[in-house]
Amino acid sequence: MNFLKKVTTQVLPMAEAHLSLGNNSALHTSAVCCRVQSGRYRITVKRDRPLTYEMANPPHFIGHRKSWNSWNTSTLKDALRPSQTAIEDVFIRKFITGTWHALVCSEIIIKRQHNMIRIAAIIRQAISARKMYFLIGYTEELLSYWMQCPVTLEFQTVADKKDVVFKYI
Amino acid sequence: MYLTRQLRQLPRSRLTRHIASGNGPHYTTAAPQPAAEHIEIPKRIERSPTDLLQALASTVGRDPTAPHYKYHDDPFLIPMSNITKRTYALSKEAGRKAANWIKEEHRELFMHQEAQPPIEKFAPSMVYTEESEVDASSLQLLISQGELKDAVLVYNLLVQKGIEVSDALKQSLLELVCFYNNEEPLPEEYIEERWFMQNSRRRERHGKTWKDGELAEKLYAAIEPKTPQSYAALIRGMAKYLQCERAYALLQEANEKRIQLDTNTYNAIIQIVSFIKDTAEQRWQMCTSLLNQMAEQQLKPNLGTLNAVLECISTFGNFKLARSSALKVLPEFKQLGIVPSLGSYYYLLIIFCRERAPVSHVIIDILNDIGGKEFKVEHPKDTYFFATAMDVCRNHLHDKALAKRVDELLHTGNNYDLIGDSFKEGIYYRNYLALLCQTESIEDFMRTYDILVPNIYIPEPGIMEEILRAIEINGAVEHVPRIWSDMVIFDHTHRESLLLYVLRIMVDNRPNPELPSQQQLPKQCANVALDMYNKIEESAKRIKKVSFTGQMLGDILTLLVRGNSSFDKATEVFTYIDKQQHRIPGTPADSALFEYVEACILNKAPSQALMALQYAVENNMETTPLAKRIHEGFTLSEVHLAKLKSLVGEGFLTK
Repeated sequence: MNFLKKVTTQVLPMAEAHLSLGNNSALHTSAVCCRVQSGRYRITVKRDRPLTYEMANPPHFIGHRKSWNSWNTSTLKDALRPSQTAIEDVFIRKFITGTWHALVCSEIIIKRQHNMIRIAAIIRQAISARKMYFLIGYTEELLSYWMQCPVTLEFQTVADKKDVVFKYI
Repeated sequence: MYLTRQLRQLPRSRLTRHIASGNGPHYTTAAPQPAAEHIEIPKRIERSPTDLLQALASTVGRDPTAPHYKYHDDPFLIPMSNITKRTYALSKEAGRKAANWIKEEHRELFMHQEAQPPIEKFAPSMVYTEESEVDASSLQLLISQGELKDAVLVYNLLVQKGIEVSDALKQSLLELVCFYNNEEPLPEEYIEERWFMQNSRRRERHGKTWKDGELAEKLYAAIEPKTPQSYAALIRGMAKYLQCERAYALLQEANEKRIQLDTNTYNAIIQIVSFIKDTAEQRWQMCTSLLNQMAEQQLKPNLGTLNAVLECISTFGNFKLARSSALKVLPEFKQLGIVPSLGSYYYLLIIFCRERAPVSHVIIDILNDIGGKEFKVEHPKDTYFFATAMDVCRNHLHDKALAKRVDELLHTGNNYDLIGDSFKEGIYYRNYLALLCQTESIEDFMRTYDILVPNIYIPEPGIMEEILRAIEINGAVEHVPRIWSDMVIFDHTHRESLLLYVLRIMVDNRPNPELPSQQQLPKQCANVALDMYNKIEESAKRIKKVSFTGQMLGDILTLLVRGNSSFDKATEVFTYIDKQQHRIPGTPADSALFEYVEACILNKAPSQALMALQYAVENNMETTPLAKRIHEGFTLSEVHLAKLKSLVGEGFLTK
């Protein structure tokens, strides 16, 4: 907490008026943590944390080296249902990772076009193709009941989880 | 019309202008324009909501290089055999059904409304129980939705509560119950289940399934006074589910009471004539009398009548009577202006092209008539045409050109929709490929094979054998590696006859290394043989196992020897033969051993050669040429010489 003290002394004259009321926490002086931490992965001691390509690139590379996970127009000016879309996307991600349990080995990309939702991900070939088809039919149908629009899965499969590992940190 | 002509001229006039611009003012050489240009704006054409989609869809056809779009586009998920095609499609549908079940089971979670306007199919369906508050309008709604089970439940509730149901509503419920024989039909959206349904429908045809004395008849009894419609509904229901006697009796009753029935009811009765009368003459008599009744009542026959009459004729055992009556029927219906559907042609084919009747070329006339036309489904039997036509082309006439014409018709417009189901599609392609591989040159055949296999059709083992026979006849051994890899993918490797066939083709057609196209072949054949050897060894652990025979192993040995580089493998196979000789039925051919010994000489392996000789001696095979070859080919050491002598005796060295 040393650096905080230092900062406090510097801004002290300016903040004197506020502080004089006896409330010490009115001014927030710490750095913004979310910009530094979110979407980034910490290096492990043994350097054995597997990262996919997407994970290896921090958020400021979105649009440069990697792309968005949700594609829709809800955040444009005067666009419809921004909050519902975000909540639905969270629901879709949770539903897919739960239904395809321990099989999804990438981010889940959700693309909306007109009234259609396309969902892409990379799936591990850990269950037989027959079971996968069952899950595909089930997921598509249930999600379309939920969202009341056509849902298509565009999954790709990999033989091994290691196939999607870009690097270890 | 005017506009298009203008447009077509446009590039030409521009071209003249371009050429002419070099040597003068360009306006003098421009194409002459009509003085007063008059543009006629065409009238607006009314489009349906799906017209645009259909126009787009018509621009893409079936892509034979990709699997059907119902399968997921990923190598792991692409089906590679008939059985996987079926399981994958049905699994996906089973998943859909599971989701539907969840929706119905946890209906309270799916009550929200996202879509504008609301879409009924996404919401859970209404549940009717004994306690539900119902009235006539809900019954009407259910009938219009075709919900048989709920409609019946609601009707019973209404009766219990003593609520009056109007006769019109009873009539429509009667029609619904008669149509489905009071059994819940397969929901419309499960297309895969329909597509893969194994002909169970046809098996049903043989017995009565009508439910006597059940709801339909009670409903009928409840309608007073009887209307022509109620008679018609019950008669058609009974005829559809083969309660033939009572259907006919009801028809007679209606006639006695002078009730005016309609054409489709008569059609239904004509369809079941074959179940009421036994001999062809009686059937024909009844058929004509029914038609006369229709004429008396001034009913205009329709396509259904034509097909029903033809169906009746097709059941005649007497082919002469069948042919002559069919020929009598056709012109009459033509006079009435009834255009036959594919179903009518299907009946004609089975009337004229029978196994125990003289050959008929009626299919040529049919194709002349309908070639290049587009068809829509008009009659349930329309989907039988293509499979039967191809069957006639192959088994009745054996005519390649006709088969191609049928195939062309199938791929005209949307005619492929009339292929029926997976079973009929299978029959169609089975006959098509079998006919082509018997009649076409192997190169042309392989071109068709490349297009159809594996995404559109996967050959069954029987057809694979036909293909192999064609390869054998043509000596086209260069196609064997390709066919073998297909066989492995299609899981045909546990058929002993097929394995022997593949081996025989490769052994009998020794590739010519001087031809550049065949240089790689010995090696490829050796690979095939080795692959087969491993496959058979693996299969020993499975239930469906193939066991080695001496012949088979001999062929594998020969191929390995010819493959030059694989002498070690050949030795391994021979050791296997030698060790397991009591378990393997039969012995390798003499030539196989001889070729092996030759290879031993090339590779300077005298002990292997002697082992082969020993094997030959032990199994009473021809030994003298082998021994001679070994003696000449090697400079044998003392030990080997002694062994040779002990095997074939001293005698032959002096010869």
